[in-house]
Amino acid sequence: MDALPSLLAGFAVALQPINLMWALVGSILGTAIGILPGIGPALTIALLLPVTAQIAPESALIMFAGILYGAMYGGSTTSILINTPGESGSMMTALEGNQMARRGRGAAALATAAIGSFVAGTIGTIGLTFLAPTIAELAFVFGPEDYFALMVLAFTSVSVVMGTSRVRGFIALFIGLALGVVGIDGQTAQARMVFGSPELFDGIQITIVLVSLFAVGETIYVASRYRADAPSINPLAGGIHMTAEDWRRSWRPWLRGTAIGFPIGALPAGGAEIPTFLSYTVERRLAAHPEEFGHGAIEGVAGPEAANNAAAAGVLVPLLTLGLPTSSTAAILLAAFQNYGLQPGPMLFMNNAQLVWGLIASLYVGNVMLLVLNLPLVGLWVRLLLIPRPYLYAGIMVFSLVGIWGLATSWMDLLLMFVIGMAGYVMRLYDFPIAPVLIGLILGPMAETQLRRALSISQGDPFTLVSTPISASLLAVSLIVLVLPAILRRISPKLAPTT
Amino acid sequence: MSSSSTRPWWLGLGVMAIGGVWLNGAFSLDVVANYGGIGPGLFVGLVGSGLVLLGLLLTIKIGHGERFEPQATEDMTPDAPFSRSGFLLATTAAAVPLATMQPVGFPVTAALVFTLVARAFGTRRIVQDLAFGLILGSACWYGFRSLGVDLGGFLPLVGW
Repeated sequence: MDALPSLLAGFAVALQPINLMWALVGSILGTAIGILPGIGPALTIALLLPVTAQIAPESALIMFAGILYGAMYGGSTTSILINTPGESGSMMTALEGNQMARRGRGAAALATAAIGSFVAGTIGTIGLTFLAPTIAELAFVFGPEDYFALMVLAFTSVSVVMGTSRVRGFIALFIGLALGVVGIDGQTAQARMVFGSPELFDGIQITIVLVSLFAVGETIYVASRYRADAPSINPLAGGIHMTAEDWRRSWRPWLRGTAIGFPIGALPAGGAEIPTFLSYTVERRLAAHPEEFGHGAIEGVAGPEAANNAAAAGVLVPLLTLGLPTSSTAAILLAAFQNYGLQPGPMLFMNNAQLVWGLIASLYVGNVMLLVLNLPLVGLWVRLLLIPRPYLYAGIMVFSLVGIWGLATSWMDLLLMFVIGMAGYVMRLYDFPIAPVLIGLILGPMAETQLRRALSISQGDPFTLVSTPISASLLAVSLIVLVLPAILRRISPKLAPTT
Repeated sequence: MSSSSTRPWWLGLGVMAIGGVWLNGAFSLDVVANYGGIGPGLFVGLVGSGLVLLGLLLTIKIGHGERFEPQATEDMTPDAPFSRSGFLLATTAAAVPLATMQPVGFPVTAALVFTLVARAFGTRRIVQDLAFGLILGSACWYGFRSLGVDLGGFLPLVGW
């Protein structure tokens, strides 16, 4: 598969006026929800799924990609100006960016974040362009036991990496797996865990779980501990510009952040927290003036922001090539593909080349749009923060209701919304990670299918699961991911994260 | 309410209970399929067993003094005092659609949910919030209907 001609064909799709419009809509929505509290890219895409059933798949996915990238840009704005990361990947940006803003250098911080996001997003998309077809071709040799092992690796790494406790990470994962088995079994047509309700025969949709956990659970949680202070926005002095010194100090961190973010994002563990943290640590170590860190060092904004955006591009690699989501947003993107009867994986590049390359090309276009939208218009975006919180959260709940009631006008869906929403509240209160629930819900049925397929082919021999070098290696890596933190903790208590 | 100072045994027991329900469900399903492979019950049983085991591990950790820090998020501080009224109003807002959606339809339900959530966050203008909610709910009903999303009748109680 030759990437360049395919990419050019993709641009022919992405540059169609209708798709440019959807990319713009996605970029605007993404930036807005990145800035607004209480709503993130995964929730936004989930709420839009029923609506986008009416538009062409490439247009919908181009818009969703704009939302994914836009949220990264928007998240940095709130981190810098009000010290509140809109997304988890912007946490490190807040450390230095807000200090810069307090010292009257908010404009430079916003500029290095936006340009760094553009550089990293573009390089990350180039990486995706050339890496994805290669991995997709490699994936053709994967048998069911290899896919099952790959999913076990994703389960293990997501549960270990996300959150503060492995046990709580795995509980979240298994809750997702438990929800995933509800419904009619695709292979034997037997109803499983439907509790006598025919409304559960089709299973529990990811939209219901995602909206309930992210919107309902979050609203109840914030309401129970609401801080009614108006956000204190650091004023922007002058225009959004960087001095020659800022450019000199920023370009290397942008490239290093990209080099850290993209490969880590592309790993089955994925996520933006680790690369941004790593980038911040690296920049602090390499800085000519490390004493500035903690007081507004521009390298501490440039590196993590680049890592954050590069990781977002990296997450698309396993999603598009292997059908493997490694974050909440990737999980709902996979659901969006499935809504259109498409299954990401190696066959997607063969059977739906126009769609997948149109999507990749739109990422380049979206990055340019986001730079234009974010640099000169940041003052406008910041005004979103002035929306009164009672009406913001009330609006989020009403739109959540649209997303859930609009699926099938089913009372059972409303009951699930309430129960899972309360579970979301409890998970926040007791610090359970939420993403593993979604990964378990969407990957669980796929893992079960591959497991059953592998065992059927081998006539029930469980050793088939370690019979190929790929499956044996992936399961070995899963085991290492599982036990490594404990071993590290035993060797050096300071090295390992607390569990 | 700071959960770190308490021992929430119910969390571990709850996880074990959910696992037990799934394990019980697995017993009513075939574990082995007729031809070589595994049946629909095996994965359900594995998930149930996993939850029971993890619930047990969590209970043991709680016994050893596991700390639970509430997650930090925007617009709140984890160590802020627990607002019973905020919690109850927001929870009621999530429950209200169960009772009202089918008889009174989406726009009225949206108005009630909007008002309850707004009040949970401190507003005290019920009539204005109800009006806002009704306008938003009606706009959503018409707007999404035109996009092909069915949100049921406008006011089923009177046959609309």
